[in-house]
Amino acid sequence: MSDGGGETGREHPKPNTQRKLGGDEYAQAIAKIAVAQICEKEGFQTFQPSALETLSDIAVRYTRNIGKAAHDYANLAGRTECNVFDIIQGLEDMGLPQGFSGASDVDHCLACSGTVREIIQYVGQSDDVPFAYAIPQFPVVKDRNLTPSFLQVGKEPPEDHIPAWLPVFPEPHTYAPLPTPDVKAMEPMVKMEQKKHRKVDRSLLNLRQQFVCNGLDGLSSEDTRDADKGKQAGEGNPYLAAPMQYGEKEVSRVFLPAKLSNEATVENPVSSSQVMGNHVSVLATFAPAIDAMQGRLLDSEEGQKNVLLNRSNTVQFKIGTGKKSLNTMPHLSPRNTGFEMISPSFGMEGDKDEKKRRAEKILKESMENPQGLAQL
Amino acid sequence: MNHNQQSTEARHDDDPALSEFLASLMDYTPTIPDELVEHYLAKSGFQCPDVRLIRLVAVATQKFVAEVAGDALQQCKARQASIVKDKRDKQQKDKRLILTMEDLSKALREHGVNVKHQEYFADSPSTGMDPASREE
Repeated sequence: MSDGGGETGREHPKPNTQRKLGGDEYAQAIAKIAVAQICEKEGFQTFQPSALETLSDIAVRYTRNIGKAAHDYANLAGRTECNVFDIIQGLEDMGLPQGFSGASDVDHCLACSGTVREIIQYVGQSDDVPFAYAIPQFPVVKDRNLTPSFLQVGKEPPEDHIPAWLPVFPEPHTYAPLPTPDVKAMEPMVKMEQKKHRKVDRSLLNLRQQFVCNGLDGLSSEDTRDADKGKQAGEGNPYLAAPMQYGEKEVSRVFLPAKLSNEATVENPVSSSQVMGNHVSVLATFAPAIDAMQGRLLDSEEGQKNVLLNRSNTVQFKIGTGKKSLNTMPHLSPRNTGFEMISPSFGMEGDKDEKKRRAEKILKESMENPQGLAQL
Repeated sequence: MNHNQQSTEARHDDDPALSEFLASLMDYTPTIPDELVEHYLAKSGFQCPDVRLIRLVAVATQKFVAEVAGDALQQCKARQASIVKDKRDKQQKDKRLILTMEDLSKALREHGVNVKHQEYFADSPSTGMDPASREE
């Protein structure tokens, strides 16, 4: 029969490999081997695994209970470190169910306690069977690598208020602030790279759209703010009446330009009177910008054929641009047709973006010329 | 504690025995390794740099385990002796001494530990089989 140590050595790696190694598995495995060795010395030849596990568990608990009791007794005496008397006291506590000689004597001497005598007797009788394996010290505690202090390094603290016994500062390049423009330039780049292509496209489109809006607004705000105001009024503020016109325009896009011209004539007579009213006041200062608009509006009033011609030009642009760029109203000024030319890139976006953009535009324009709002 | 210390002071003649024993522990190697005992003692809050005290705990634990194992061995032998004689021929094969839960729970009960063999817990089918015979 192979010896118990060898057997346990063969038996125990198995459950350890099957189970996930937990925190205390190693110590438990060692305890099992030790207990198996003691059992073998007592005369057992083999064991049930459950029995060995139980016995080793109880041995571990016994050890821990002794430690706990000794620790408690040391604390009771106002000490943090245990001495031999604490342990003997703990051993007596643990041996109470079995009983020991002199247990009945309350004032018995700890040094000549019955438990100690039994242990001395046991050690004298039994041969020492060392543990089968060499065990490293566990649990392994990694030595902390402390940062040396100013004194140890021999440096002078950078400031007077820093005592020399404090740890040295890290290298300056690890905490020195970098030039901020670089960081700001890098951050959007990194973010852009992380985004998906679609998002990049969208942000680019938004950027371009903002540029377009700003360009238009900038123009209108710089030289023809009043003209723009007049134009808005002349259109009957299409942005406020957007839903109506949206549907109408869509229909008009799809169908022939003749029908659109009819609708345009339906729209324009309502607004044209206002335009005319505004024109009178504005004309003196901003003649050239309004002239173009006025000319067209007047044309539309004069006759359908001229309107047809004029309209057909703009409609051609719009058919080229696609259906989605509907929000841009058929402004009659040449600037707006230029805007329409740019709009195909927006046709890629969804309706949501269209609405958002429209809302943005309205807001922006109202911000740019609050007078226009006042007029409305 | 105070009164215990007083009592130890009262009988100084016994002190040499204890200190001698503690000194002799340095030569005695307990089967339960020091590292294991130290680990579990540290877990229970025990703090002591003295190796002799750790050895003392190790020896005490070893004594406890040995006593339990000895009791279980007696139980095992008694059980084997009570087997009917006509099965002796078969028993020749099974004469080996096996540490079973049955015997262990009986032995532990004497030490104040209440352990019951789980009714439906099945050890591995080769439990108690001689590994040598398994290899053959």
